[in-house]
Amino acid sequence: MMLTRPIQLTIVLCLALSTAVQAERKDNPFAEAIDAAQDRCVRLYGAGIGREKGYASGIIVSPSGHIITAQGIYLSGARLRVAMRDGRIYEAKVERRSESLQVALLKIDAKTPKYFELSKKAVVTKGDWVMSVSNAFKVADRGEALSVNLGVITMRAQLDARHRTQDVDYDGDVLMFDAITSNPGASGGAVVTADGKLAGMIGKLIASTSTNTRLNYAVPADQLRKFMDGEEPKKVQPKVAEGDPFLGIRLFKLSGKRAPAYVDRVTSGSPAAKAGIRKDDLVLVLGSEVVRSVRDYDEAFKELHPGDEIEIVVRRKNTIVRLSVVVAKESDE
Amino acid sequence: MKGQKMLSTDFADWRRLGWLCLCAIALIVAPAVADDDNRAGYVLAPKAFRAAMGKVMPSVVTIETFGGIVARPKKGGRGQIRGISKPGEGPTTGVIVSPDGYIITSTYNFIRKPAIITVILDDGSQHVARLLGRDDTRKICLLKIDGVKDLPVPPAAPVDSLRVGQWSVSVGVGYGGDDPAMSVGIISARNRIFGKAVQTDANTSPANYGGPLIDIEGRVIGICVPLSPRSGQTAAGVEWYDSGIGFAVPLDGADRLIDQMKKGKVIVPGRIGVMPKAVKGGGVGINKVVENSPGAKAGIKANDVIIAVNGEKILDLMQLRSKLGRYVAGDTIKLTIKRGDKEMEVEVTLSKGTDVPAPKRPTPPGKKIPVPKKK
Repeated sequence: MMLTRPIQLTIVLCLALSTAVQAERKDNPFAEAIDAAQDRCVRLYGAGIGREKGYASGIIVSPSGHIITAQGIYLSGARLRVAMRDGRIYEAKVERRSESLQVALLKIDAKTPKYFELSKKAVVTKGDWVMSVSNAFKVADRGEALSVNLGVITMRAQLDARHRTQDVDYDGDVLMFDAITSNPGASGGAVVTADGKLAGMIGKLIASTSTNTRLNYAVPADQLRKFMDGEEPKKVQPKVAEGDPFLGIRLFKLSGKRAPAYVDRVTSGSPAAKAGIRKDDLVLVLGSEVVRSVRDYDEAFKELHPGDEIEIVVRRKNTIVRLSVVVAKESDE
Repeated sequence: MKGQKMLSTDFADWRRLGWLCLCAIALIVAPAVADDDNRAGYVLAPKAFRAAMGKVMPSVVTIETFGGIVARPKKGGRGQIRGISKPGEGPTTGVIVSPDGYIITSTYNFIRKPAIITVILDDGSQHVARLLGRDDTRKICLLKIDGVKDLPVPPAAPVDSLRVGQWSVSVGVGYGGDDPAMSVGIISARNRIFGKAVQTDANTSPANYGGPLIDIEGRVIGICVPLSPRSGQTAAGVEWYDSGIGFAVPLDGADRLIDQMKKGKVIVPGRIGVMPKAVKGGGVGINKVVENSPGAKAGIKANDVIIAVNGEKILDLMQLRSKLGRYVAGDTIKLTIKRGDKEMEVEVTLSKGTDVPAPKRPTPPGKKIPVPKKK
């Protein structure tokens, strides 16, 4: 009976301790991932010009002071400063840049034992939780941790830079998500999963020209890894001249460039004629491009290469007809 | 006696200790289990989001438009068209609402008045679509494709079952590609824009206007549309894209609207035809009744005071506007009016127009929307 009191006490103590620890875990299933990410992200301060802000975020990617960030005006000033979570500030040098990824690798003269591993494989799929960790609007003051926003992966998509749907040079895959990161200062920040892996890096601010909305996106970790390993994707090289494409379609252009792409004439014996395209067909798709207007047709036409077999989708009266056409060389005819 | 008491105390203590141990074990284990449930709930949520989206996808269509009146930016002309009101030039989204090819979508997708509209179904087949009627008050419209049957119609989530805080997922194809976009949030409010829309913090934007907002079971809560309580213009409300304020027009109860749109009708706001004035003591006074207006036909006279709409009390002009906002031209409403000391009820069938103009004067039709100059 005398023993029971200490035992009681011990039990109560154990109980209190365990519930305290568990309460913290219970309240926030993302706490560990966030804490780890805030340790591995930095604030960047550089030059700003006009509306281009002179600050951004960055991610520590090696134990020896390597930091990746998005390309931006802040990198071009004389002095680039990196502020760690604990408030320490270092001068950084730009080691390498990637035109195609719009990413830069920085180096500071310090050991950084806490860093993100860059996965070689895709880390997330659609619908997965992600958290963005960044210094959007420079709200995090010295010694304060970076801001965190929660969202899910919207899709992994290819940014099609060639056709100017986006005003950016990058044409690789991007991770899109519904946490809002399209704000000044967020570029270069981390996008992490619920279990603390780095999914990607918030890219520089871009707007979709097709919808005129700003995109919330990240350059995926696997692409960053390629950049770190020096095997980044090459920029799309214009193909060697192989002759101009020829289809034998003349559009009705009198209504202007913005008018729908109606076929006015088909040259007899031409690839278009062989495929069965007729006068008054409305071209909807040429190759891989949706054709909304004469202008779209002209642009899509320039991308064709002689010898390619392409699909042309036309509207004929109220039916949709898909036709296969082999592109010829202009001089052939 | 004493020994007995000792024994009983002993026994009681042991029993107490036993209970304590049990409680302790339960308390240590229970939160751990609850924790795991909680964590698992969060961690597994994405699976549920994907499953819900998978259920609705066969009913989601891609809409392409060709031709139209709105200019596109010149080559390299960044900022040629400023602001975010530029309607989508890319693919947009719609939802099948009948097995024989009726598709509901947002009027936002047709601001350009395209000459040709095509619809791509889940199986990849492309069809020419006709634009039928529309509801200008909800920014939805109906398309029809011919020569199809047995198309999958998604179930609608009953509006009464919706709870603020429940998961909602918005789905759209506006970013292009074969892969539709998904955004997750919660229902923020059930009755917004005069009871016409559900509010959500899942992202809605030109990328998913016309697409479905679904619940965690894949049922359609509503169709994502841009809406603004201050303006009825087609693109009003777009400026709130990705802001955490998004709207969806419920599919549940929309049969009446769909039937009208099938007939090619354009559903517009309704009006009584009276000039309001402020009065003391509640209600909305009538300054003047427009000749031949529904109000005049119903026998409303100047200096009457409207005190209730369909039995719901009206305190001021704003409240009248909000109550009337629920009804469209053609609806019949019951007004309670006070004439002197007498109260009476009149039935009014609303005609086209609005009684109480929005606070901001809308741009007259045909006039260019002013472009804000670069600072």
